[in-house]
Amino acid sequence: MIHQTVEVVVPISFMYKNRVGRYLQHYLNGLKEKKILGSKCSGCGRVVVPPRSACGRCYGVMDELVELPQEGKLVNWTVCYVKMESGEFKRLESPYVIGMIQLEGCDALLSAKVLEVEPENVKIGMKVKAIWKEETTGDYTDLVGFVPL
Amino acid sequence: MKRRVAIVGYKLIKNTKASVWTRERIYYELSRALLEELEITRDKVDTFIFGSNDFADGRTISECYLIQRIGAHMKDESKVEQEALNACVYAWMRIQSGEYDTAMIGMVSLASSQFKPLLVQNHVLDPVYERPRGLINYYSAAAFQARAYMERFKNFTESHIARYAEKGYRNALKNQYSLQVIPPSLEKIENSEPIYLPIRELEVAPYADGGGVVLLASEEKAKKLTKKPVWIDGFASIEDTYWIGERDLVKLDGLREAGKRAYKMAGIKNPEKEISFAEIQTFFASEEPIIAEALGLFDEGSGAEVIEKGLSEINGKLPVNPSGGSFGGNPMGGTSLLGLINAVKQLRGEADDFQVKNPKRALVHAQDGVCAQQNTVMILSTGGEK
Repeated sequence: MIHQTVEVVVPISFMYKNRVGRYLQHYLNGLKEKKILGSKCSGCGRVVVPPRSACGRCYGVMDELVELPQEGKLVNWTVCYVKMESGEFKRLESPYVIGMIQLEGCDALLSAKVLEVEPENVKIGMKVKAIWKEETTGDYTDLVGFVPL
Repeated sequence: MKRRVAIVGYKLIKNTKASVWTRERIYYELSRALLEELEITRDKVDTFIFGSNDFADGRTISECYLIQRIGAHMKDESKVEQEALNACVYAWMRIQSGEYDTAMIGMVSLASSQFKPLLVQNHVLDPVYERPRGLINYYSAAAFQARAYMERFKNFTESHIARYAEKGYRNALKNQYSLQVIPPSLEKIENSEPIYLPIRELEVAPYADGGGVVLLASEEKAKKLTKKPVWIDGFASIEDTYWIGERDLVKLDGLREAGKRAYKMAGIKNPEKEISFAEIQTFFASEEPIIAEALGLFDEGSGAEVIEKGLSEINGKLPVNPSGGSFGGNPMGGTSLLGLINAVKQLRGEADDFQVKNPKRALVHAQDGVCAQQNTVMILSTGGEK
């Protein structure tokens, strides 16, 4: 009779190189110039951010790149208390706010950190504006987040 | 003309934090037990369908190892890389083809002891935008969804989310196949550690090792195999777009559409009246009212009232997750198969302490992806007039 289970630990490590595609490439180039780019659907006119080629509603081609305003409205938010490390949540010392932001003229919401505001002061509908790294490199971190106007 | 298809038998293991049996052994024991109960050999099973996830299994084409354990060697076999309820849909289709009369479906997931579910979930995310940015994941998205519901229906508060979790734990204790944890008090749930507010630690369904097998059969075979067939009256499966910034997380258009189509197929006009109870798949307590409402089981925005008045309790007007649902343990990927089995138990009067009174029709729901991008809805019944 076996009363003890024996385990073999089998780590798997895969490395993937994912091409971002031309639309995200435009987006990242835009970030370098401190611009937020979206794409517009030639079929139904929807604008999404980050830009992509296929419309998630009408399936039209979203072939027009549009520069979006850097001010918008906070439409949803959460406070993040954790970060993931090797598949486990570790508690953060300083929780931060993540928001879903509606930029004017854009039909999709942009997720971003919301800075310079305490969670208890966050209000849905509040106006926010983008803040940037001083020196941008064409990386997602160039757009640091949004702050209340 | 469509063939009628029934579920003729099931076997499951009790959810645990760490299964002593290997996944291979679980399949072997469950499949043999089911065949024995139905007094047939594996030769009488025409096709086998696994519900599985290669990432969770830690192997690609992961069923290749499990085939002889479930008894599928030298037989027809396939796999669905999605929630296990979809394996049931697949099996139904195979029987519908006329080429098969019986199909065994199986799903075993060792989500508590074998792998880290968070790691697997994180690999659902878009690899070139969401993953490197680290803002959107299952948890933050669920927080946005809960916040959107609270914003739309102002009488729904954080403490209502805790109450839905409390109901889940409480029902699960009545289900001997659940994790059998002592239900935390409402106060303890409300004060548990925040993860992504308004979502707290105890409002997330606990991961478990668990799984089961189910046998489906065509009408003529079903009647020979069991006195208590449970019929599949309708189902539908709908995918929405990936990006949560483009979806209404409260309205859940994809789920709504899946519900509408499943009701149509089952001939249901008024789900609120015609469905006896529902087993829906939630990872977070906050999802329950949102999913139930999108399915038309309760009025929109009634989440606070439903839990306050006990309308979705086991003895309520329309019980939701009488088994405790995933709050009795979430063997990721296989949770919807437990939902299916628990619904079959109810309809056969085998649900013991969590039995609802005289159920005629059940709704089973499964979801995949961030904020239920994919939804499958299935309607089961004891038969009656058709």
